[in-house]
Amino acid sequence: MVPGEARNPLTELRRGVLEHCVLAVVREEESYAFDIVRVLAQAGELVTSEGTIYPLLSRLRRDRLVTTTWRESDAGPPRRYYRITDDGRRALDAFVGEWKRFRDAVDALLRAKERGRVHGR
Amino acid sequence: MDADVLVRDYLGRLEAASWPLPAERRRELASEVSEHIEAALSEAGRRDEVTVRNVLERLGPPEEIVAAEDGAAKEAPTSAAQPAEAIRASSPWGAIEIGALLLLTIGAILLPFVGPLLGLVFVWISTQWTTRQKSVATVIVVALLMLPVLILFAASAGTTI
Repeated sequence: MVPGEARNPLTELRRGVLEHCVLAVVREEESYAFDIVRVLAQAGELVTSEGTIYPLLSRLRRDRLVTTTWRESDAGPPRRYYRITDDGRRALDAFVGEWKRFRDAVDALLRAKERGRVHGR
Repeated sequence: MDADVLVRDYLGRLEAASWPLPAERRRELASEVSEHIEAALSEAGRRDEVTVRNVLERLGPPEEIVAAEDGAAKEAPTSAAQPAEAIRASSPWGAIEIGALLLLTIGAILLPFVGPLLGLVFVWISTQWTTRQKSVATVIVVALLMLPVLILFAASAGTTI
Protein backbone atom coordinates (compact mmCIF):
# COMPACT_ATOMS: atom_id res chain seq x y z
CA MET A 1 0.00 0.00 0.00
CA VAL A 2 1.18 3.47 -0.88
CA PRO A 3 2.07 5.43 2.27
CA GLY A 4 -0.38 8.23 2.94
CA GLU A 5 -3.05 6.68 0.76
CA ALA A 6 -6.43 7.40 2.29
CA ARG A 7 -7.96 4.27 3.81
CA ASN A 8 -11.63 3.86 4.31
CA PRO A 9 -11.99 2.59 7.89
CA LEU A 10 -15.27 0.86 7.00
CA THR A 11 -13.59 -1.16 4.25
CA GLU A 12 -10.99 -2.38 6.72
CA LEU A 13 -13.62 -3.13 9.34
CA ARG A 14 -15.78 -5.08 6.87
CA ARG A 15 -12.79 -7.13 5.83
CA GLY A 16 -12.11 -7.95 9.45
CA VAL A 17 -15.60 -9.00 10.54
CA LEU A 18 -17.25 -10.37 7.40
CA GLU A 19 -15.77 -13.85 7.76
CA HIS A 20 -17.37 -14.28 11.16
CA CYS A 21 -20.64 -12.80 9.96
CA VAL A 22 -20.75 -15.56 7.34
CA LEU A 23 -20.11 -18.11 10.10
CA ALA A 24 -22.98 -16.57 12.08
CA VAL A 25 -25.31 -16.92 9.07
CA VAL A 26 -24.55 -20.63 8.64
CA ARG A 27 -24.44 -21.36 12.35
CA GLU A 28 -28.01 -22.48 12.82
CA GLU A 29 -28.74 -24.10 9.49
CA GLU A 30 -27.13 -25.28 6.30
CA SER A 31 -27.44 -22.56 3.64
CA TYR A 32 -27.14 -22.11 -0.09
CA ALA A 33 -24.40 -19.64 -1.08
CA PHE A 34 -26.84 -17.34 -2.85
CA ASP A 35 -28.98 -17.11 0.30
CA ILE A 36 -25.93 -16.40 2.47
CA VAL A 37 -25.04 -13.51 0.16
CA ARG A 38 -28.62 -12.24 0.30
CA VAL A 39 -28.78 -12.29 4.10
CA LEU A 40 -25.48 -10.41 4.37
CA ALA A 41 -26.44 -7.88 1.72
CA GLN A 42 -29.79 -7.22 3.40
CA ALA A 43 -28.11 -6.65 6.76
CA GLY A 44 -26.80 -3.41 5.25
CA GLU A 45 -23.33 -1.86 5.64
CA LEU A 46 -21.63 -5.25 5.55
CA VAL A 47 -21.31 -5.96 1.84
CA THR A 48 -20.72 -3.51 -0.98
CA SER A 49 -20.00 -6.04 -3.76
CA GLU A 50 -21.92 -9.28 -3.33
CA GLY A 51 -19.46 -11.19 -5.48
CA THR A 52 -16.66 -10.78 -2.95
CA ILE A 53 -18.45 -13.23 -0.62
CA TYR A 54 -17.46 -16.13 -2.87
CA PRO A 55 -13.71 -15.81 -2.28
CA LEU A 56 -14.52 -15.58 1.41
CA LEU A 57 -16.59 -18.77 1.34
CA SER A 58 -13.72 -20.49 -0.46
CA ARG A 59 -11.31 -19.47 2.28
CA LEU A 60 -13.67 -20.66 5.02
CA ARG A 61 -13.84 -24.02 3.23
CA ARG A 62 -10.08 -24.20 2.98
CA ASP A 63 -9.68 -23.37 6.66
CA ARG A 64 -12.30 -26.04 7.46
CA LEU A 65 -14.50 -23.60 9.33
CA VAL A 66 -17.38 -24.66 7.08
CA THR A 67 -18.14 -27.81 5.11
CA THR A 68 -20.22 -28.09 1.99
CA THR A 69 -22.64 -30.63 0.58
CA TRP A 70 -24.00 -30.77 -2.94
CA ARG A 71 -27.77 -31.12 -3.09
CA GLU A 72 -30.19 -31.58 -5.93
CA SER A 73 -32.12 -28.47 -6.79
CA ASP A 74 -35.62 -28.13 -8.23
CA ALA A 75 -34.44 -25.27 -10.39
CA GLY A 76 -31.37 -26.22 -12.42
CA PRO A 77 -28.04 -27.88 -11.50
CA PRO A 78 -27.09 -29.22 -8.04
CA ARG A 79 -26.30 -26.59 -5.44
CA ARG A 80 -23.59 -26.40 -2.86
CA TYR A 81 -24.82 -25.94 0.72
CA TYR A 82 -22.64 -24.58 3.51
CA ARG A 83 -22.63 -25.73 7.12
CA ILE A 84 -20.50 -24.66 10.08
CA THR A 85 -17.96 -27.14 11.51
CA ASP A 86 -16.94 -27.55 15.14
CA ASP A 87 -13.82 -25.49 14.39
CA GLY A 88 -16.03 -22.82 12.86
CA ARG A 89 -18.27 -22.80 15.91
CA ARG A 90 -15.26 -22.35 18.20
CA ALA A 91 -13.89 -19.54 16.01
CA LEU A 92 -17.27 -17.83 16.02
CA ASP A 93 -17.72 -18.13 19.79
CA ALA A 94 -14.28 -16.63 20.36
CA PHE A 95 -15.07 -13.80 17.96
CA VAL A 96 -18.40 -13.02 19.63
CA GLY A 97 -16.62 -12.40 22.93
CA GLU A 98 -13.85 -10.35 21.30
CA TRP A 99 -16.32 -8.34 19.29
CA LYS A 100 -18.38 -7.39 22.35
CA ARG A 101 -15.30 -6.15 24.17
CA PHE A 102 -14.09 -4.31 21.06
CA ARG A 103 -17.48 -2.71 20.40
CA ASP A 104 -17.92 -1.63 24.03
CA ALA A 105 -14.43 -0.13 24.12
CA VAL A 106 -15.00 1.90 20.94
CA ASP A 107 -18.49 2.98 22.04
CA ALA A 108 -17.21 4.07 25.44
CA LEU A 109 -14.43 6.08 23.85
CA LEU A 110 -16.68 7.73 21.32
CA ARG A 111 -19.22 8.59 24.01
CA ALA A 112 -16.53 10.08 26.21
CA LYS A 113 -15.38 12.26 23.31
CA GLU A 114 -18.95 13.41 22.66
CA ARG A 115 -19.43 14.36 26.30
CA GLY A 116 -16.07 16.09 26.36
CA ARG A 117 -17.03 18.20 23.39
CA VAL A 118 -20.40 19.14 24.95
CA HIS A 119 -18.76 20.11 28.26
CA GLY A 120 -16.03 21.98 26.51
CA ARG A 121 -18.44 24.43 24.93
CA MET B 1 -27.82 -4.53 -25.57
CA ASP B 2 -29.00 -8.11 -25.18
CA ALA B 3 -29.17 -9.28 -21.57
CA ASP B 4 -27.29 -12.51 -22.29
CA VAL B 5 -24.49 -10.55 -23.93
CA LEU B 6 -24.13 -8.50 -20.74
CA VAL B 7 -23.78 -11.67 -18.69
CA ARG B 8 -21.28 -13.15 -21.14
CA ASP B 9 -19.24 -9.94 -21.09
CA TYR B 10 -19.23 -9.94 -17.32
CA LEU B 11 -18.11 -13.57 -17.08
CA GLY B 12 -15.47 -12.86 -19.74
CA ARG B 13 -14.11 -10.03 -17.62
CA LEU B 14 -14.07 -12.32 -14.60
CA GLU B 15 -12.20 -14.97 -16.56
CA ALA B 16 -9.66 -12.39 -17.73
CA ALA B 17 -9.19 -10.90 -14.27
CA SER B 18 -8.81 -14.26 -12.55
CA TRP B 19 -5.68 -15.43 -14.40
CA PRO B 20 -3.49 -15.28 -11.25
CA LEU B 21 -5.68 -17.86 -9.49
CA PRO B 22 -4.98 -21.60 -9.56
CA ALA B 23 -6.84 -23.17 -12.51
CA GLU B 24 -9.15 -25.17 -10.30
CA ARG B 25 -10.21 -22.23 -8.16
CA ARG B 26 -10.58 -20.13 -11.29
CA ARG B 27 -13.14 -22.55 -12.76
CA GLU B 28 -14.89 -22.83 -9.43
CA LEU B 29 -15.20 -19.06 -9.01
CA ALA B 30 -16.56 -18.71 -12.55
CA SER B 31 -19.24 -21.31 -11.88
CA GLU B 32 -20.10 -19.82 -8.49
CA VAL B 33 -20.58 -16.38 -9.99
CA SER B 34 -22.56 -17.58 -13.00
CA GLU B 35 -24.73 -19.67 -10.69
CA HIS B 36 -25.30 -16.55 -8.58
CA ILE B 37 -26.38 -14.60 -11.65
CA GLU B 38 -28.80 -17.35 -12.66
CA ALA B 39 -30.24 -17.57 -9.15
CA ALA B 40 -30.67 -13.79 -8.95
CA LEU B 41 -32.37 -13.63 -12.35
CA SER B 42 -34.72 -16.50 -11.58
CA GLU B 43 -35.51 -14.85 -8.23
CA ALA B 44 -36.36 -11.64 -10.09
CA GLY B 45 -38.44 -13.61 -12.58
CA ARG B 46 -37.18 -11.46 -15.46
CA ARG B 47 -34.14 -11.34 -17.72
CA ASP B 48 -34.46 -7.90 -19.26
CA GLU B 49 -31.49 -5.60 -19.57
CA VAL B 50 -32.31 -3.49 -16.49
CA THR B 51 -32.66 -6.55 -14.26
CA VAL B 52 -29.38 -8.02 -15.53
CA ARG B 53 -27.57 -4.72 -15.07
CA ASN B 54 -28.81 -4.50 -11.48
CA VAL B 55 -27.73 -8.05 -10.69
CA LEU B 56 -24.25 -7.46 -12.14
CA GLU B 57 -23.88 -4.15 -10.36
CA ARG B 58 -24.73 -5.75 -7.02
CA LEU B 59 -22.13 -8.43 -7.68
CA GLY B 60 -19.52 -5.70 -8.14
CA PRO B 61 -16.65 -5.40 -10.65
CA PRO B 62 -15.07 -8.80 -11.50
CA GLU B 63 -11.65 -7.33 -10.68
CA GLU B 64 -12.84 -6.58 -7.14
CA ILE B 65 -14.06 -10.15 -6.68
CA VAL B 66 -10.69 -11.53 -7.78
CA ALA B 67 -8.91 -9.02 -5.53
CA ALA B 68 -10.87 -10.42 -2.57
CA GLU B 69 -9.58 -13.83 -3.60
CA ASP B 70 -5.98 -12.61 -3.46
CA GLY B 71 -6.55 -11.08 -0.06
CA ALA B 72 -7.86 -14.43 1.05
CA ALA B 73 -4.54 -16.16 0.37
CA LYS B 74 -3.43 -16.68 3.95
CA GLU B 75 0.15 -17.66 3.19
CA ALA B 76 0.96 -14.37 1.49
CA PRO B 77 -1.26 -11.52 2.67
CA THR B 78 0.56 -8.84 0.67
CA SER B 79 1.53 -11.00 -2.31
CA ALA B 80 -0.38 -8.71 -4.67
CA ALA B 81 1.74 -5.67 -3.84
CA GLN B 82 5.16 -7.26 -3.56
CA PRO B 83 6.07 -8.65 -7.00
CA ALA B 84 5.65 -5.28 -8.75
CA GLU B 85 7.85 -3.63 -6.12
CA ALA B 86 10.50 -6.30 -6.44
CA ILE B 87 10.59 -6.09 -10.23
CA ARG B 88 10.87 -2.33 -10.13
CA ALA B 89 13.70 -2.47 -7.58
CA SER B 90 15.73 -5.08 -9.44
CA SER B 91 15.24 -3.65 -12.94
CA PRO B 92 18.75 -2.96 -14.31
CA TRP B 93 17.63 -0.15 -16.59
CA GLY B 94 18.02 3.11 -14.71
CA ALA B 95 19.28 6.32 -16.42
CA ILE B 96 22.84 5.69 -15.18
CA GLU B 97 22.88 2.15 -16.57
CA ILE B 98 21.50 3.17 -19.97
CA GLY B 99 24.04 6.04 -20.11
CA ALA B 100 26.87 3.66 -19.28
CA LEU B 101 25.90 1.20 -22.01
CA LEU B 102 25.48 3.96 -24.61
CA LEU B 103 28.88 5.45 -23.78
CA LEU B 104 30.53 2.02 -23.93
CA THR B 105 29.05 1.24 -27.35
CA ILE B 106 28.15 4.28 -29.45
CA GLY B 107 30.40 6.46 -27.27
CA ALA B 108 33.40 4.37 -28.29
CA ILE B 109 32.80 5.36 -31.92
CA LEU B 110 31.80 9.00 -31.44
CA LEU B 111 34.32 9.78 -28.71
CA PRO B 112 37.24 7.33 -29.02
CA PHE B 113 38.90 6.61 -25.64
CA VAL B 114 36.93 9.37 -23.83
CA GLY B 115 33.53 7.74 -24.42
CA PRO B 116 34.34 4.29 -22.99
CA LEU B 117 36.25 5.82 -20.07
CA LEU B 118 33.23 8.00 -19.20
CA GLY B 119 31.10 4.88 -19.61
CA LEU B 120 33.23 3.11 -17.00
CA VAL B 121 32.70 6.02 -14.61
CA PHE B 122 28.94 5.56 -15.09
CA VAL B 123 29.30 1.81 -14.53
CA TRP B 124 30.97 2.43 -11.17
CA ILE B 125 28.34 5.04 -10.15
CA SER B 126 25.52 2.56 -10.81
CA THR B 127 23.94 0.95 -7.76
CA GLN B 128 22.33 -1.83 -9.81
CA TRP B 129 25.42 -3.78 -10.79
CA THR B 130 27.60 -5.78 -8.42
CA THR B 131 31.26 -4.94 -7.83
CA ARG B 132 32.19 -8.17 -9.61
CA GLN B 133 30.20 -7.17 -12.70
CA LYS B 134 31.80 -3.70 -12.60
CA SER B 135 35.30 -5.18 -12.38
CA VAL B 136 34.70 -7.53 -15.32
CA ALA B 137 33.38 -4.61 -17.41
CA THR B 138 36.44 -2.52 -16.50
CA VAL B 139 38.90 -5.26 -17.44
CA ILE B 140 37.18 -5.82 -20.79
CA VAL B 141 36.98 -2.12 -21.66
CA VAL B 142 40.58 -1.37 -20.65
CA ALA B 143 41.83 -4.43 -22.56
CA LEU B 144 39.97 -3.35 -25.68
CA LEU B 145 41.34 0.21 -25.35
CA MET B 146 44.85 -1.10 -24.93
CA LEU B 147 44.56 -3.48 -27.89
CA PRO B 148 45.21 -0.91 -30.72
CA VAL B 149 48.15 0.51 -28.74
CA LEU B 150 49.64 -2.96 -28.29
CA ILE B 151 49.11 -3.81 -31.98
CA LEU B 152 50.79 -0.56 -33.05
CA PHE B 153 53.60 -1.20 -30.65
CA ALA B 154 54.07 -4.76 -31.87
CA ALA B 155 53.92 -3.65 -35.50
CA SER B 156 56.50 -0.91 -35.08
CA ALA B 157 58.72 -3.29 -33.10
CA GLY B 158 58.39 -5.81 -35.97
CA THR B 159 59.45 -3.30 -38.64
CA THR B 160 62.49 -2.17 -36.71
CA ILE B 161 63.81 -5.72 -36.36
